[in-house]
Amino acid sequence: MKDFHPSEMTDIKCEYPTLKVPYEILNKKFRLTQKALDRGLSQIQCFESELQKGLDENAKAADITRLLGGVVEKLQVLKRKADESMSDELSAGLECKRRLEHLRQQYVPLPSSYEVKLAATNRWKKIRLDRMIVEHFLRLGYYESAERLATQSNIRELTNLDIFQTSREVEEDLKKRQTIKCMAWCLDNRSKLRKISSNIEFQLKVQEFIELIRADRRLDAVQHARKAFANYEKDQLKEIQKCMALLAFPTNTDIEPYKSLFDPKRWNDLVLGFRLENYRLFQLSTQSVLGVTIQAGLSALKTPQCYSECGKCVNCPVCQPNFNEIAAGLPYSHVAQSRLFCRVTGLPLNEHNLPMMLPNGQIFGQLALSQLSKDNGVIVCPKTNRIFQQPKIEKVFVM
Amino acid sequence: MTDNASEISKEKDCCMMVDVELTKVLDKFTAMQGHTNRVLSDVTASFEGFQAALNEVPPDGNLSFEQHALLRDLLAKSREKLRRLTTDHRDIHTSVSKVGKTIDRNFISDLSLTTKSDVMLEERNVHLLNKVIAQHFYRQGKDDIADTLVKEANLSKDEFTQEPFAELHSIWECIQNKNIQPALEWASRYSKELMEKNSTLEFKLHRLAYMQILSKGINAQTEALKYARTHFAKFVNIFQKDIQILMGALMYLPVGIDNSPYRTLIEPKTWTEAADTFLKDACHTLGIIKESPLSIVASAGCIALPALLNIKQAMRKRQVPELWSERDELPIEIELEPEHRYHSSFTCPILRQLTSEDNPPMKLTCGHVISRDALSKLSNGTL
Repeated sequence: MKDFHPSEMTDIKCEYPTLKVPYEILNKKFRLTQKALDRGLSQIQCFESELQKGLDENAKAADITRLLGGVVEKLQVLKRKADESMSDELSAGLECKRRLEHLRQQYVPLPSSYEVKLAATNRWKKIRLDRMIVEHFLRLGYYESAERLATQSNIRELTNLDIFQTSREVEEDLKKRQTIKCMAWCLDNRSKLRKISSNIEFQLKVQEFIELIRADRRLDAVQHARKAFANYEKDQLKEIQKCMALLAFPTNTDIEPYKSLFDPKRWNDLVLGFRLENYRLFQLSTQSVLGVTIQAGLSALKTPQCYSECGKCVNCPVCQPNFNEIAAGLPYSHVAQSRLFCRVTGLPLNEHNLPMMLPNGQIFGQLALSQLSKDNGVIVCPKTNRIFQQPKIEKVFVM
Repeated sequence: MTDNASEISKEKDCCMMVDVELTKVLDKFTAMQGHTNRVLSDVTASFEGFQAALNEVPPDGNLSFEQHALLRDLLAKSREKLRRLTTDHRDIHTSVSKVGKTIDRNFISDLSLTTKSDVMLEERNVHLLNKVIAQHFYRQGKDDIADTLVKEANLSKDEFTQEPFAELHSIWECIQNKNIQPALEWASRYSKELMEKNSTLEFKLHRLAYMQILSKGINAQTEALKYARTHFAKFVNIFQKDIQILMGALMYLPVGIDNSPYRTLIEPKTWTEAADTFLKDACHTLGIIKESPLSIVASAGCIALPALLNIKQAMRKRQVPELWSERDELPIEIELEPEHRYHSSFTCPILRQLTSEDNPPMKLTCGHVISRDALSKLSNGTL
């Protein structure tokens, strides 16, 4: 049985987002359930204390029955709500579980054959790549492509597609220059956003203010400002002042910074800003996993030959034009020990296939000698096509 | 192998630890849901029971002393039960947040390798990567995904070459499903090229087709003979021996191929192998790469990334500022799959540096090879 090369196994340490995102959902569902319970409880308590008051005042049986009816009704509402949100909790937990199961799937039990293991690992790797690409698409806002890939590869539930569905709607709304959905999102995640001291809600309110002025509803704008900017944070004061000054300018002003406040491009900034806050909310790093992985992979494969005219290899990904350009700024791989391959046979050069040198300095493996030799000791250099008559072929020693 | 096993168990542990915590939470949730349902039903029922008893009292009458006491008692109990319900649920929070902490502890959240050169944040590079991804899907024949990406990422469709690989990929899938016809058609189309490259592909495919006929049993005898006569003649010079062996299989027809030494020739493994040979030889013949460049780089990256992140952490602890050293080389060697090594690399045994065009390897008269930098340092005595 062939030994399983360690590199054929995969590392899952970097699968943080795969688990953390559904966990955050789970946490949110938990808090929603708690809120539902607390609210239900306080409502029931309200009714109960009225009932208590009725008792204290020795109310008539009809009144007591009425009050009791209220308590029972509230209890039934709470029962329904609690059951619903607890089911949500549970399914959020099962979602985490499903991702976990997938991560563990790559470990095929040891006594299976090399081929079986290899096939399983390859399949897992293919799914992993598709998952990474879906995430990459989502981050760039290529929702349609993400959707198609996830559906065709049947990996929908392993991706964060559904969570990004909300952000897709918010983004589309923002692109239509509407703040309603984004505001709702802010409200939905208010406590978490406050925790990461997010500025996004303020930015939305600023934009709403600007739009009111653009529509020449300056009085409405003042009303809006009174309501929206009342509880400002210290560092927002400057920006509020700048905004308020807009009231004095026409919408086609050329004076900065007011001109850029009127710039419709601010909506695009809002889209990007929202996207970033959404990542922060789920503790996702700003870079996509695919991006960093590709970066690390390119570096691990990059050699100086990839950038020399005569060293390129058709099979090497870093020698392909697109990757070649991306990798230009990345470090080379580190090679502690020389690693040589014969240009003719493609076999590694080692003690079983000694490196040999032609008089022109070109090196190839001992095993290629028979292929290079023509009749009467003529050897054609595989690199330069130079013909040597019975050349002196030297062994070289590479340590 | 033992190393691998420990590696596996370590890896498994990260998942395991999260799983243990998660299972606790799930169990608590399930229990809580049942409990909540029960408590709320009980409380509701007791109030409803009291309500029913009240119906006996005339609407403008007063409640009896016992009824007063009973209702007060009910209220106090219900209050207590509901209060406990919410605190019980709140207590689960400890377990929930433990899941989060276990994830944080066992997985790496900060994937950025360096603060200096995040090449993937540059728009130009994102554009290039998108091109690679689109080509990756054209390769697999998933044109609709690629086309959607071209549209959404504003790429230009003309930049993409038709992928001959897409056809190969679909034939490869056919062989996996034991449908050999498309492969045979392809092989006869490229028969001459395959012969020139000393490929055994065409013969292997015919052999499979022949065995497939034989496995139908004794009734297929004539068909098999006819097939052999039409298709094997061409290979008689190279595969004479194999053909003789194959013809011997006819002997076993009465007992069935599955009960003969020939059964290995129609095992599922043989099909997988044929599919792989097809992909390899066909790619070689057409001069295209077997694996998608994106898959290779991603694969390499998944090996490299954890190692690099570990090093980053270690270096940060010792307050080494940058991971990418000024020598423009990764700080450690990444052990990639052997077939993903494409270039020879010569590391100077003296200076431990990778040689380059500016600093090429030089052969000493004794036959040993060192870098030119090392040679000049040796000769002017600075080493």
